[in-house]
Formats: sequence, C-alpha cells, structure tokens
Amino acid sequence: MTHDDTGGSVPALRTTRLGKRYGQLWGLRDCTLSIPAGATVGLVGPNGAGKTTLLEMIIGLRKPTEGLVEVFGHAAQANTAATLARVGYTAQNHPLYPDFSVADMFHLGQAMNPSWDMALATGRTQALDIPLKRKVKTLSGGQQAQVSLAMALAKRAPLLVLDEPVASLDPVARLEFMREVMAQVAGGGPTVMIASHVVSELERLCDWLVVLTHGHVQLAGPVDDLLAGHQLLTVPRATSDADLPGVPIHRTDSDRHSSVLLRTSPAPLTAQPNPDWQAAPVSFEPLVMAYLQRPFRASDSGNRTQPTGPTTKVMSR
Amino acid sequence: MIWVSWRQHRSEAMACFGLLCALAVYAAVLGLSMRSSFGQNDLATCLVRSQGVGCPNSVAAFDNSFGSLVNIGFWAVLLLLPGLIGVVVGAPLLGREMELGTWRLAWSQTVPRTRWLAVKLAVVAGGLIVLGAAMTLLITWYRVPMDRLTGHFIHNAYDYEGFVFTAYILCAFGFAVLAGQLLRRSIPAMIAALVPWLAVRIFVEFALRPHFMAPLTLSQKCPCGIKGGNGMVDVPPATGHIGDLIVSSGGTGNAQLTFYQPASRFLEFQSIEAGIFVALTLAALGTAVWLLHRRAS
Repeated sequence: MTHDDTGGSVPALRTTRLGKRYGQLWGLRDCTLSIPAGATVGLVGPNGAGKTTLLEMIIGLRKPTEGLVEVFGHAAQANTAATLARVGYTAQNHPLYPDFSVADMFHLGQAMNPSWDMALATGRTQALDIPLKRKVKTLSGGQQAQVSLAMALAKRAPLLVLDEPVASLDPVARLEFMREVMAQVAGGGPTVMIASHVVSELERLCDWLVVLTHGHVQLAGPVDDLLAGHQLLTVPRATSDADLPGVPIHRTDSDRHSSVLLRTSPAPLTAQPNPDWQAAPVSFEPLVMAYLQRPFRASDSGNRTQPTGPTTKVMSR
Repeated sequence: MIWVSWRQHRSEAMACFGLLCALAVYAAVLGLSMRSSFGQNDLATCLVRSQGVGCPNSVAAFDNSFGSLVNIGFWAVLLLLPGLIGVVVGAPLLGREMELGTWRLAWSQTVPRTRWLAVKLAVVAGGLIVLGAAMTLLITWYRVPMDRLTGHFIHNAYDYEGFVFTAYILCAFGFAVLAGQLLRRSIPAMIAALVPWLAVRIFVEFALRPHFMAPLTLSQKCPCGIKGGNGMVDVPPATGHIGDLIVSSGGTGNAQLTFYQPASRFLEFQSIEAGIFVALTLAALGTAVWLLHRRAS
C-alpha cells in the first residue's frame, strides 16, 4: 500500500523557513524540515516550544506568518479538500463532540471524508471493547483518545499528525495507545508525526526525531544518524570546550571529570584524540534531554543555520 | 455535511419544536375562545357593515375580555422571544466549537472550513426560517378576531405577523454566530448578541418604522364625523377605516388634519423592516465566513 500520490521522491512533509508570529512573539521561527515518506517522526519540545503551532500549520489550521509548508509537494495552507485529505490529525486533548455517540462520530467522519474507511474505524473500537452506542462523554480519557485515533486513521490520509496524544492518559492507556500507533506504523502505514513529552515512548516508535525549543528547531534527522553523529565524552574537568572534537551540547561537571555530550556529525569520532578521554555512544533519551536542556541563545534566532542532520556540514570551530 | 449539521443541532431543533407546540396550545386555546366570543356578539357583521361604529358596546366587551391578555401580555413575552431563539441557536454554532476545541476536529476533515460553515449556516438558518414562519402563522391565525378590530399596524400584531418575526430571529442568530466566533464562548456570546439585537430591534421599531413611508393626510371638518371608541385602540380609528394607523392629528382652524398610514401598506412596511434585519443578518454572517476564511491567528 502506498500513500504517496506524487512519486517517491517528494518528501511527505517539507517546511521552508516556516515562521508564525503571535503579536510581538514568534511562536515558531525559521523552521526548515524535510521528512521522507514513510518516516515516523517524534517531535519533542517543552511546553510553549512551538510544537502545536508547527503541527497546526501542517494541518492548515493556522496560516504561517512566513515561509512555506508542503505536504507531499502541495502547500498546506490552501485549505482545499485535496490538501485536507492528505493529513489525518488528532489534536491535543483529542476533542470530540461530547453528546455524540461513537457511531455518530464515525458517521461524521464518513460524511466529511470521501476516503473514509468505516471498517477500520469500527474494527479498532471493537477490538478495544468500546461500544459504538456509548456517548463520547461517558468514555474514559483513554477510550476517547482511541476513538480520536481511530478517526484520524480511518481518514486514510498519507500523513498522520498526532499532537500530544497521550499527555492526559494514565500509563496503561498510554501503552495501549502507543501500541495502536505502532501497529499502524508497522503495517506500512502512513508517514507519522507525533508530538510528545514522553521521550521513552517515542524511542520505541520513531525513526526520525525533531527537537524544538524556544520556537526553533534544535535537532532534526533520522534517529540512527543522529545517534551516530553524537558522542558522550568523559574528559578531565579542566578541558576547555574549545579543545573538544565537536560541538558540546550538554556538559555536566563533577569533581574531577566532565561528561560532555558532543555533536561530531557527520564524521564519527573514530580515534581517541587524547588518552584521558573516554568516548561512549549516545542513546536516544540522553540525546533528546541534552538538546532540551541546551540553553537558548538569542543569537540563534538571527542565524539562518540549517537544522542539524546527516546532510549538515560540521560546524567550524 | 447536512447530516452533521442536523446531528449537531438536533437537540436545539427538538427544543424549538417543543416551543412551537407550547405556542400552538396557547394559540389554540385563546384563539378558539376569542373566535367563539367574537361570533356571539355578532361583531363580525357589525364590523363589516359599519367599521364598528354601530356596535361600540360589543367592541368594548370584546376588548375588555381579550385586549390586555392578547395585546399587552403577549407583546411583553414575545418581545424577547425571537432574540432568545436566535442567540441560543447561533452562539454555540462557532462558540462551542471553540470552547470544546472541536474546531480542530471539524476543520481537519476533508471539508474546507468555509464550506463547513456555509453548509451549517444554511441548514440552521433554514430551520429557523421554518420555525419563524410556523410561529408567525400560529400567531396570525389566533389573532384573526383581534386583528379585525385593531388591524395589523399596532405593534402587538405587526411585530409577530408578516415577515418581521422571522427576520428578527435570523438577525439575532447572525449576531450570535459572529459573537461566538469572536468571543470563543457560547454563553457570553449569547449576551453579547442579545443586547445589540434588542437595541436594534427597539431602535427600528420606534425610530425608523414610523418613517418608512410618508404618512397620508386626511382633512376633516370639526367636530369630526367619526369618533373613536375607548378601548385599547380606537375602533374605528379617526380615518373611519379599521387597520389604518393614526400617526398624529392636529387642527388648523375648522379643519382636523389626520396623518395616517393606510392599512394597505402593511406588507410594504413589513418588507422594508424585514429587509433591514435580513441585511444585518447577512452582514454578520458574511463577516463570520470572511473571518474564518482569512483566519490568521
């Protein structure tokens, strides 16, 4: 099953210097991304980092102040039936009409989406023991999230966007929800973009990562490339940042040593330049945490730096 | 989309239907009792023969029985009713989507949001037109005996017959849809729409309506040949023809001048006033669609 309607070479999602200003403040700025079809993208960032702003511009719910969003090569803000058909979306807190029954919600989905897959929608809720006749407001938060996901999936859109889908759920409901998403992804399903605070859950799910803080993309790329492009280096405390073979992202000083998470991309750190240094590979969660904790420099906002990725040049020192 | 609109406004439609039934019962009870009273005193024949001049007692008796009940009480209740219907139906149309966050759901389906709004507005406004027309018919039917004494120009009749009643509902609806969009809340939007609606409604009735068309002038020798009755309204009015609306009268020397709107202008007046309210409705709804289309925030 292929969802790509314009040929394999067109990215599922491309943003070009995308920006959104709210009054005087930029909610998102200078966001340039190119995400291939079939990727499962984890979008991580603290509250207010601009995740929802980015996602809503991808859906076409908000107009960019500057820049461009293209979904499978078509501008998202056109808000035509064709652009809307390309994105399935579950908003934060999975809004549904409280006095609708589950069946009513699916009926709405069918009435408003020509490509609606009713068998998929009812199949999902049946498998999860959610009665179709129940009013939405009588369902648990987890069940509402599942209904919301079923609606986004049944739209059969080639790009699926999930905004904090598990934020309000208890751990069991979280697990079930993520399992559902994973089952979809595994089945050669849509390109998925999922925003979440829960880094550990993204690790299992995602093969692409975007870290967003203060309205700016800090890190973006395939997870494997990003992990390969970073090293965890233990150095004597006296070592200055300038001597390190890469860009220090996060540094923890202890009595004698410092632990530095270092960006070395694209060339991995092969030889140990100094016998006092100990290098170790980086895993997913520390990498994300390092970028989330990285102090935001005001000068960053003026720079037109490319987001870090496999194709990005090494930053000169 | 039509199903979606219906499903979302089903409970409001039921409530409106309930209201219509209650009005029907009231209208049937009062209408039938007025009809029987009207028939007993042979008022009908008298009115046709002499415009009520020949049977002042019957006119007064009928007026005493029903005048305050049908005219004053009814007007007080119904003054706000079209506004309440309009804002209760209109404010949640966008306001509740904003409140619940369901706009994100609604506008991410495969229906562009302007089309989504246009269909909803058409379906709901269509329902309100049917409701307004049905209520107008009921009120007009039950008032038939009273109207034969008062004509259609007194506000108790004018405001609920013809086209204006429906236009009032639509105008309140339009204001409330826009208010719901701007305030993003249903209840505040209802209040925010009702207040200007009432202001416009009263302004039009008392400041504009008398000037829709220049009154005709009737010159009579004094003392006037025809003298009005002494009830709620003069039967017949100074022009001698039931249904004419006396605007003012004054004497110059021996002549009594009466300025009046003839009963035959009722539908013209209704069209002008309904036109004002429909234009306001279209302006409000057009603004709502336009704001949604260019929605920048």
